Amino acid sequence: MRRASSINRPPTPDAEVDQEQELSLQEIINIKLIESGEKERLKELLRERLIECGWRDEMKAQCRAFTRKRGRNNVTVDDLVDVITPKGRASVPDSVKAELLQRIRSFLVSAAL
Amino acid sequence: MNVQIKEKHLSIPIKMFSTNPTYTNPKPCKHLADYKLIHGLNGYNSLQKSLKTTPDGRTAMNRDQSKIPRCSFCSGYEGRMYFCLICSSVSCCSSSDSNHAFLHSQTENGHEIAVDMDRAELFCCVCCDQVYDPDFDKSVMIKQILEMPRNNNGMDLSKEKSIKRRKLVSKVISDSKISKELVLRMDRGSKSCFPWGLRGLNNLGNTCFMNSVLQALLHAPPLRNYFLSDRHDRETCRKISSDRLCLSCDFDAIFSAVFSGDRTPYSPAQFLYSWWQHSANLASYEQQDAHEFFISMLDRIHEKEEQVRRPNKDDGDCFCIAHRVFAGLLRSDVTCTTCGFTSTTYDPCVDISLDLEPSNGSSTEVADKSNKLSQNISTLLGCLDLFTRPERLGSDQKLHCEHCQERRDSLKQMSIRRLPLVLCLHIKRFEHSPIRKMSRKIDRHLQFPFSLDMAPYLSSSILRNRFGNRIFTFEGDESDMSTDFELFAVVTHSGILESGHYVTYLRLRNQWYKCDDAWITHVSEHTVRASQGYLMYYVQKMLYYKASEEMNCLLMSPRGDPFLPTAECC
Repeated sequence: MRRASSINRPPTPDAEVDQEQELSLQEIINIKLIESGEKERLKELLRERLIECGWRDEMKAQCRAFTRKRGRNNVTVDDLVDVITPKGRASVPDSVKAELLQRIRSFLVSAAL
Repeated sequence: MNVQIKEKHLSIPIKMFSTNPTYTNPKPCKHLADYKLIHGLNGYNSLQKSLKTTPDGRTAMNRDQSKIPRCSFCSGYEGRMYFCLICSSVSCCSSSDSNHAFLHSQTENGHEIAVDMDRAELFCCVCCDQVYDPDFDKSVMIKQILEMPRNNNGMDLSKEKSIKRRKLVSKVISDSKISKELVLRMDRGSKSCFPWGLRGLNNLGNTCFMNSVLQALLHAPPLRNYFLSDRHDRETCRKISSDRLCLSCDFDAIFSAVFSGDRTPYSPAQFLYSWWQHSANLASYEQQDAHEFFISMLDRIHEKEEQVRRPNKDDGDCFCIAHRVFAGLLRSDVTCTTCGFTSTTYDPCVDISLDLEPSNGSSTEVADKSNKLSQNISTLLGCLDLFTRPERLGSDQKLHCEHCQERRDSLKQMSIRRLPLVLCLHIKRFEHSPIRKMSRKIDRHLQFPFSLDMAPYLSSSILRNRFGNRIFTFEGDESDMSTDFELFAVVTHSGILESGHYVTYLRLRNQWYKCDDAWITHVSEHTVRASQGYLMYYVQKMLYYKASEEMNCLLMSPRGDPFLPTAECC
């Protein structure tokens, strides 16, 4: 009887091992940011800035308008995220972007040391 | 001289706020309902261990620093991460196309309810939408309370770091030049441009404390309407009660006198005598405290009406005119810092006494350039913030916790459950130290607004701020409460504790008038803002504007003759 070709197949590789081999530079940086706690701090800073400049209030208003138009019972979280995300990204003030980029750059410099 | 006024039906709403029957918690979806039936609160309680609260009061699932949560389908770590309450596996959802949380619910039978890890909120993977359960929020709240960071002066650190939002900050008046006051001469003719009901009150011997409060009350729209509509009938009152003294009757007499059109200063002697009868301890020619007088006056009015109307004490709200106008309801939440159990009590109040503290400007690490100035000035809003801030009770003030069955360290927070028609804010400027047997007065200037929105100090707002987006029903929705108030009277004090002087500023038809015993003068806004506020009287915005309209309708005779009303036009 012929052996099923499946026996000769190498064992299924462990999912995690697979993952590590494929880590891009971006992912490595991200992991470093998270593990050092810097990502949390950056998120807090971003949150403060976006509230201060009224961005959050603006997004809230947009969500309300959308919900009112669609009808309260016809809107899910996914719908809102899909609709508001592009608007939100486009309206982040340049000063906020610049500040965060600067912080990330400093972090990279210090992490490389 | 009594003025004949066509009786207008000025009904004062007794129950201003009714519970909103259409407000209920959002109904759970079928999947959440099923989950609750099978699992009850187990999932929620075991989740508590993994919850962590950030300094600004937001709760998230604790991300193990060394291990980033990854989606069990794609190993991604971006987008919204959902933690399954049944099997604890994590799925991501980065867009409606890539929704692995939904996938999880399809591959595993019954795994429908998950928790949004960043926000500690419930999510239904089948409905692909947020769902709400008061039990879940309760268990999250308890964790938040227990985790509240401690610090020296017992303040809740999570709210110290308040982020300064884009707000309208009223301009700071640094060097106030006292504007020229338009002092009109005392003769009748020239006073004709004054609005109706402005009349000086003679000082009968250090009675400015009484005159100042009377002026404020004479122009409190609901009170004014009540007495001018002859709601308190002196004849009937005399017949009904055996006790011939009635402060309301004497107050009614003052209304008649002040609104008669006669501008010569009036001496409220009968009223003073009546008040002395009931407040024997305060009956002297010594200086008294205006706030104490205000409270005692309301007390007398209430007692008298209770005697007459309801011999048996009724449960619920009192409908005497004093309470109908001034009574509000305060909510006090006391939380045990050991187990998180909170006990709530409601207390009626006729005013709110506020501690005078320097306003806490933003104390964030991030420099707040635009608001540096406001950090050194006390504002009324700052005092209200202080009033509603959670306060850590000292170890000598341990309260009994029902849950622990022991006396425990507690946290107390005040908020306003129901606002009155007229809100009296009392600034505690007189400090009495029983230890040193000394009293002193705090002269610090207080900035106060002419228009006040009390919404942030309502129980619903305070609780919402403390616990974020947690859903829970209130006994009666507060969204139909109107929270906008307009300032109509300020009682100010100048001088030292032992010998000072009270003066009231009245705002009528958007003009300010200074009532200094017998002298009434027209003053600028500037002067009022620079004054030392002691008692601030705010009235619900719509009542203020209605009162202004009514004033406009009634025309004054240009010769300053005793007033004869023309036909009402409204």
